[in-house]
Amino acid sequence: MKRLLCYIFVIVTIKMVSLGANVDSALVEHTTLGQLPHLESLRNPALHGLYYRTSFSALSLGLDLQRQSQAFVPEKGTGYTLPYLKVNTYHHLNEKSAVWGEASYTTGKQHAVRWNSTSDYDLLQPYVLADTVGGDTRRERYAIAGGYALRLNRWALGVEMRVRAEQEYRRRDPRMRGVVTDLTLRLGAGYELGRYRLAATFEGNIYRQTNSVAFYREESVIPEYQMTGLGTEYSRFSGDKRSLYHDGGGVAVMLHASPVDHNGFYANVTLDTHRYHRKLAEYNSMPLTDLYNELAGVTVGWERKGRYHIAAFGHFDYTRRTGNEQVGGASDARYFPVIARLTMYKSHVLDGHVGALLGKEQWHVALIAGYASRGEKYVYPHRQLDSGHVYARLQGQGFLRPSSKLQLTLEANAAHSACVSDKFVMPFANMDASTSRLMRHKYDYAKANYTTVGAKVRADYALKTSRFGLFAELGGDVTFCSMSEHQTTLQTSIGITF
Amino acid sequence: MKQRLLYISLLLLALAVAACAPIEDDLFTTARITVAATDGTSITGVQAQVKLTNVNTHQVTTVADFNGTSVTVELLRGAYQIDVEGVAACVGNNGATRHRQFRCQSDYTEIVSAHANEVTLNIIFLD
Repeated sequence: MKRLLCYIFVIVTIKMVSLGANVDSALVEHTTLGQLPHLESLRNPALHGLYYRTSFSALSLGLDLQRQSQAFVPEKGTGYTLPYLKVNTYHHLNEKSAVWGEASYTTGKQHAVRWNSTSDYDLLQPYVLADTVGGDTRRERYAIAGGYALRLNRWALGVEMRVRAEQEYRRRDPRMRGVVTDLTLRLGAGYELGRYRLAATFEGNIYRQTNSVAFYREESVIPEYQMTGLGTEYSRFSGDKRSLYHDGGGVAVMLHASPVDHNGFYANVTLDTHRYHRKLAEYNSMPLTDLYNELAGVTVGWERKGRYHIAAFGHFDYTRRTGNEQVGGASDARYFPVIARLTMYKSHVLDGHVGALLGKEQWHVALIAGYASRGEKYVYPHRQLDSGHVYARLQGQGFLRPSSKLQLTLEANAAHSACVSDKFVMPFANMDASTSRLMRHKYDYAKANYTTVGAKVRADYALKTSRFGLFAELGGDVTFCSMSEHQTTLQTSIGITF
Repeated sequence: MKQRLLYISLLLLALAVAACAPIEDDLFTTARITVAATDGTSITGVQAQVKLTNVNTHQVTTVADFNGTSVTVELLRGAYQIDVEGVAACVGNNGATRHRQFRCQSDYTEIVSAHANEVTLNIIFLD
């Protein structure tokens, strides 16, 4: 993987000499907030290939930092320190075709992770391996992506592939290790029908994670729990069963309709279904749990690009997570037959918002307001954790040019999320103290209010004698939680544009 | 062309819908547990506690509401370890009723059928 990344960096460096673009206009086109109404449709590689008029590439060295005064989600820890090296490029081969690509290497630490010994928590929760001790984990991620789009008369065709290889591990007991391989392939097509372009995207994904926990010191051995949602565990296979893997993947279908000149009504529909099977490696791959993530979303909007760029849109999506537990029968030579399947875990996320965008080429302001409802339920013994939030987010971006060589990008954002409803049902009488504390912590943060303010500054300097440009970027935000805790995030990077 | 696009879109949507999660909401079932003597002893009534431990979740259900030699209990479908301990009213050869302490045990019993599950356990008298 490292060798492949080296090749990509070399190829991109050679390309830097022969290619180039007007960094100023390219930077604006590729980073403007004005893309906001099109972010969904840009998942279609055919539309992605048509969207940008300019070529733009960047090589960046950066650092992402996050610190929380207390973990908002214990399974994700109190923050991270992630330095990275990244190169991304978007290049028009000719008037009819475009290629793009991205390669990055990220390494660093995730701080104070508890109740989770599995990587990719957001994807696989609640079906993770967990213990009460935890600690810092080290992360290493390689990501490569590439795409190609071609325009044939009224048709536009595109293909994109994304590969992520990641490992997360801990160097002291409990020594968790998660090794992830994640491959996504997207096929896109678009067809011009009158003044509208109709497009469809098909996405396929294959995912696998091998996950284990080891103890080097006999006296530090603690039980590892096979979590099954809202503090429950699969008791029979918890304790010393510490080697498992997650197999999964899924498909997504997206349909888009938008005016070719971006003046008029547009709509996107997304259907997404993924499933992840947790299997015990040491018991002949006995399936423990199956997780099904399903999403249906629709966006309808209107946009006009005239003297001002104006857009208004509404979005609604519903995500359902369903967890089936496999009931293991009597073992026979370390083989456990599955005698029944029970749907014990149900969760949903409902998000509806409306938004508006106003701007010109050099500045944009966007306002989004909506309602998000989250609910988790463990069927028996009954456990439930629900919350509903109303939220609003204001974003602004401006491009300034103090001199002919220097361009500044200024961004600011503010958001507030207020809890309007919550429900918490837990059989505390039958729960141990540590799980009770975990679930109370989750409830406290589920019903909390959050306020975020942030800003980002980027300076791009065009070199006098070449088409290269230098840039430096510094951004940060602070989130205040009504639990009297806060989160600080910092992003900084330097690099070359070309 | 419009028709072809429509067909492709419908096919893609059908593919996504067909991939929906299989939901198994039949979580509970009913089990009738009967205790019986293998030596032919006639049992007219039982007063005992039945303890059912789910092998996978370790949840324990207890029931003592015997009707004759059987008790009915609603359970989460799964595999169970069953322990019964109590007193049985036994009718001897001379017609006299005698109360005898007994135990029954099963390390592994599958109670997974969506409908009535019949479980018969053999009594071991302790006297």
